[in-house]
Amino acid sequence: MDQFTQALINGIMLGGFYAVMVLGFSIIWGVMGVINLAHGEFVMVGAYLTWYIHKQFGWEPFATILVVLVIMFGAGYILQRILINRIIERPYLISLLVTFGLAIIISNSFKLIFTATPRTVDTMFSGFWRFGNVTVPITRSLIMAAALIIMTLLYLFLHYTKLGKSIRAAAQNREAARIVGIEIGSVYALTFAIAIALTGAAGTLISPIQPVYPFMGSALTLKAFAITALAGLGSIPGALFGGIFLGLIEVLIATFVPGVGTNLGIVSSYIILVIVLVVRPQGLFGGVQAAREVH
Amino acid sequence: MRKLGSFWRHYHLGRWLLLVLLIFLFLLPVVQIIAPERKLVSNSLLFSFTQLFMLITLANNWNLTGGFTGYVDFGHAVFFGLGAYGTGVMMAKIGWSFVPALITGAIIAALFALLIGSATLRLKGPYFSIAMLGTFVAMREIVRIVKPITGGGTGLTLPPYLNRPLFYYVTLIMAIVVVAFAWWLIRRTEFGSTLIAIREDEIGAETRGINTTLHKITIFMIGAVLTGIVGGLWAYQNTFIDPDIVFFESRTVEMVMMVMLGGLGTVAGPVIGATVLYWLRDILWANLLQFHLIAQGLILILIVLFLPEGIVGSFDDSGTSLGRLWGRTFGSPNPEKQTAEEAEVSA
Repeated sequence: MDQFTQALINGIMLGGFYAVMVLGFSIIWGVMGVINLAHGEFVMVGAYLTWYIHKQFGWEPFATILVVLVIMFGAGYILQRILINRIIERPYLISLLVTFGLAIIISNSFKLIFTATPRTVDTMFSGFWRFGNVTVPITRSLIMAAALIIMTLLYLFLHYTKLGKSIRAAAQNREAARIVGIEIGSVYALTFAIAIALTGAAGTLISPIQPVYPFMGSALTLKAFAITALAGLGSIPGALFGGIFLGLIEVLIATFVPGVGTNLGIVSSYIILVIVLVVRPQGLFGGVQAAREVH
Repeated sequence: MRKLGSFWRHYHLGRWLLLVLLIFLFLLPVVQIIAPERKLVSNSLLFSFTQLFMLITLANNWNLTGGFTGYVDFGHAVFFGLGAYGTGVMMAKIGWSFVPALITGAIIAALFALLIGSATLRLKGPYFSIAMLGTFVAMREIVRIVKPITGGGTGLTLPPYLNRPLFYYVTLIMAIVVVAFAWWLIRRTEFGSTLIAIREDEIGAETRGINTTLHKITIFMIGAVLTGIVGGLWAYQNTFIDPDIVFFESRTVEMVMMVMLGGLGTVAGPVIGATVLYWLRDILWANLLQFHLIAQGLILILIVLFLPEGIVGSFDDSGTSLGRLWGRTFGSPNPEKQTAEEAEVSA
């Protein structure tokens, strides 16, 4: 029973990270119709930024999140202006291939710069809280707390600021948004920048509990897709629900199925993806078109 | 230019050129067999050509589903891996000889294609592409996990057999057969026309009483079997397989790249695309070894942005511009319109 409770706690906490990770992916898809196959690579870039700042300047990893947000926001904005802008409103194959090319470029550049050695980041918030036989790792609780804060802020931003409302309007109806005077080009650029900043922040959150290496991205992209298929596009509660669901499945399988280890994580998320798609081929919430709305 | 074109067509120069090229390719290893001491044709040259023929076959197989039915498969290399591992396990673990092992590998690929295709081929657009990408990535992990059968991360060593001219001929004939098959399928059979109909208007094809799922699964399985055979040959020729080299990420994207570069949905496209890409990759490897994957990603982006119709499509001026097919194949660029259409259909 204790083992099960422990697995539940770990799974939910992993789910918090997944929820933050998936937000950027589902916002970009929902608002711009671009499926970003380089998504996991942006998580990797965020994690490397944290590792670098931590190593060079001795910052606490969780504090680097502010720097990571700013840098990734700028990078996302520039990238949208020079590359992603060309593939919005084009057939999906084009966006898939271009972002796949981008993923190859980013991961291999990082391998060249930082080599393929896995890096670890040490946080000062290590240790456990004990409740009977169940332990709650402090690092993971902090990640969960940060994830909830980020999601709340994003929700408030999307619902109560002018830019947030413009982003939702652009997601719901591009033409109508144009007609009412929304500068769609700059809304897209800012949306992409915000989504990439969030994705980088997810990288910061994962860096204390997982080794950081250049090819960690592709698995994360697949998980992001699985969660999005599960939970619908651009929905923040959906992302939280889907993330926790995937986190629970992964941890429960790793705990109770002997001899599989963590490699099965990606397999389980894939199997979830296929089951969801087969049972509801149009996606759980009606697929891309019906869910083109950021809640 | 136009005069040259009509001259070209009048004397069927294309066919003669093709014939000369094929005779040349068939005679190439003979030089080495007759006069090995002259070193006119080295083993490494034959090896390069073998690789090229395999790439042509792979590109052609990918084009069967991706080009003709418009279902863009991001994980077609999973069948390459299954063929390689099917052959490898049979040879290294059970001790079968090559041909029955290869057949087993191909059958495994076909069965898996039937299983996964009947689920994923019902999906539309990006869902199919990414479900297949997931299949590919997950299969690598599954192969790693099932250690007792596949040898896990340490891989399998196959009995070495280094007869370069034989591999050369086998792969050459295979490439010719699959390309001829694709041509025959598309130009001469009703099945081929049905595939094009599915690409152009799947709902319309269904309305005409075509069992689109059956057609899609059939062509998907044909592609899988052929790719599985390439995988088995590759494993035997390489004599060593492990999850990372068999399920190498760029293997799956290379197939898409070759077809895109040559011209999606054309018969000549995969051949031209594979040749150009192989040549390009060789140059990159020779000069920019460190950066070759980065350069490959860059090339992919440049092809997609600036040459979306491919080499064949760009030179094709006979009226059926692929550009117009493109829009219909991969969805209208206007999603609102698409929604309206889909809503109409479901209503």
